[in-house]
Amino acid sequence: MKSVLRLLILSCSFLVFHSCVKEDFYDNTKQGNYEALWRIMNEHYCFFDYKKQELGVDWDEIHARYSYKINEKMTNAQLFEVLCNMLAELQDGHVNLSAPFDFGRNWSFFEDHPENYNDSIAKLYLGHNYQIASGLKYITFDDNIGYVRCETFEEGIGDGNVSVMLHSLASCNGLIIDVRGNGGGQLTKAHKLASHFTNERLLVGYISHKTGKGRNDFSSPKAEYLDPASDGIRWQKPVVVLTNRAVYSAANDFVKCMKLCPNVTIMGDRTGGGSGMPFNNELPNGWTVRYSAVIYYDQDMQHTEFGIEPDIQLSFSGADIAQKKDTYIEKARAFLNEKRWTK
Amino acid sequence: MKVITIMYKGLAMAMLLLLSLCTYGQEETEANSEQLTVNCQLNKEVLHSTMIGVGSSNVLDTYLSSYNYKGTDYRIQRETMRMTNLWGGRVANQSLIDLNADVNKNHARNIDEYAGGIRYTQGWFYNFMGGNVVNPVERSQSHFNFAAGLSASGYLGVVYINRSGNNPAQAKADLLINVSGMATYDMVIAKHHYLWRYQVSFPLMGIAFSPNYGQSYYEAFVEENYDHNVVFAYPGNMPSMRHKLTLDIPIKRYTLRVGYVAQFHQSMFNHLKYHSYAHDFMIGFNKYLYRR
Repeated sequence: MKSVLRLLILSCSFLVFHSCVKEDFYDNTKQGNYEALWRIMNEHYCFFDYKKQELGVDWDEIHARYSYKINEKMTNAQLFEVLCNMLAELQDGHVNLSAPFDFGRNWSFFEDHPENYNDSIAKLYLGHNYQIASGLKYITFDDNIGYVRCETFEEGIGDGNVSVMLHSLASCNGLIIDVRGNGGGQLTKAHKLASHFTNERLLVGYISHKTGKGRNDFSSPKAEYLDPASDGIRWQKPVVVLTNRAVYSAANDFVKCMKLCPNVTIMGDRTGGGSGMPFNNELPNGWTVRYSAVIYYDQDMQHTEFGIEPDIQLSFSGADIAQKKDTYIEKARAFLNEKRWTK
Repeated sequence: MKVITIMYKGLAMAMLLLLSLCTYGQEETEANSEQLTVNCQLNKEVLHSTMIGVGSSNVLDTYLSSYNYKGTDYRIQRETMRMTNLWGGRVANQSLIDLNADVNKNHARNIDEYAGGIRYTQGWFYNFMGGNVVNPVERSQSHFNFAAGLSASGYLGVVYINRSGNNPAQAKADLLINVSGMATYDMVIAKHHYLWRYQVSFPLMGIAFSPNYGQSYYEAFVEENYDHNVVFAYPGNMPSMRHKLTLDIPIKRYTLRVGYVAQFHQSMFNHLKYHSYAHDFMIGFNKYLYRR
């Protein structure tokens, strides 16, 4: 007995002393930071296959191309610029590099496209008497169409907030949910709002996460469902969701869900996308890197990384802007009113 | 299936180990029946020890960051130990509550990390020297005692990094069977007894929680898509150990305990690396009570 326990203790000691779990490597030089960034992305980023297919991005070729631009004499600002340029090749709004002096990003998903939203004009529609339920601004227009402005999903939207808002708008003939410029937030909040627009459980997509360092190490996609709100009011009348290119991340997922809900029409411009759930990591010099880590597919197992097409494409009219009118809101009102009369 | 098979094998090994310990103890009981009567009278002593400590901490959790975070570890330990009447009064029971909190920074010292948790351990030690490891100063004929045995422990903890994102924190949980060894030495200087006690323990096997490599907590707990989140732990993927060295110093009616605790907790689950190294200097008091 004594020898068995002694053997166990000795063998465990040997195993522990020879099995140190260490950080992979730490090299706080310009080259070291460059290699660390490339490696973190290489092991964790989830869209390499898709980006290669859509954009021709070859991460190995990128490593070779950018490593020539790194030298130990460059300043931190120069290093930051090179690293950001490397990351920008992925054309992913969820890929960022944060340093104390700058925030590296590629926001071409909305910066290269018409905004289709004018904040000053949109404010005229809300006026001064709108109500706010946990960040959701809402009002009833003169033609009895309800209007909800949802700028972000960072706010704590709950069933109570949504139900109070929908109860207040209950007499309206239709509802406009304006998510233009909504850059996302919490996925749970986006789903919480969408759950008030379906009476049935909907298959809205699939989730797949990385299971290892290999670029193709992914879990088998698991179905993602939207359950109808169990508490409060579920909206039964026509709904228009207004979108533009700045609808991103959780807001993109909201549009993905709403598109599957009955009585909902998506109007506006293609959304910005951003279907990867971002994770954070850091470089040896303390700069923070953010990257897409988990893939969210739509219900047909298609990517929505580069956005979702609306049911009805719209563009801002110069004439409307001159008259201080929001083309999107006007078209949505006309659509809902027409739907009311045809019904 | 493979994991379940390994778990069954591990459990069978543990049972065999316990069985062999029991058998050995029974033989000893027969051989030392007179000693048992004496021990049963003496084994009513219970040691309570409370210590607080501070030291260094080094935490790596690649789910959160690729790099080590280093800082300060704060620790509280509450230990209760008593001899039992099992196997001829040679078995000591130890229960240990170990609470720790770390405040760490990354290499660049621009991001903070807070880690901590609580481990509860219940162990049984067979004393090979026949003495009393609870209070060897009074009971042992020998200055040296050696005990070894098994313990079961459970841990709940968290590692949090103060930056936004979908992976700011990591939950830690495990249920383990450990193998432990303990040695005591009664050092007498000028008729005063100073008791040295050294204890080492290693996790032998158990189960632990871990997210998968790139799995978000949202997916695991909101969407309920579990993916190898309960893993079988064994020294191959959890090569860990804990050391504790204490010195009991009698001061009039009290016993001061000073010590050093070293913890090397490591794991490699789902390709995620984790380690939590801590070295603490501890100080506290012992209290001996007698059960009726």
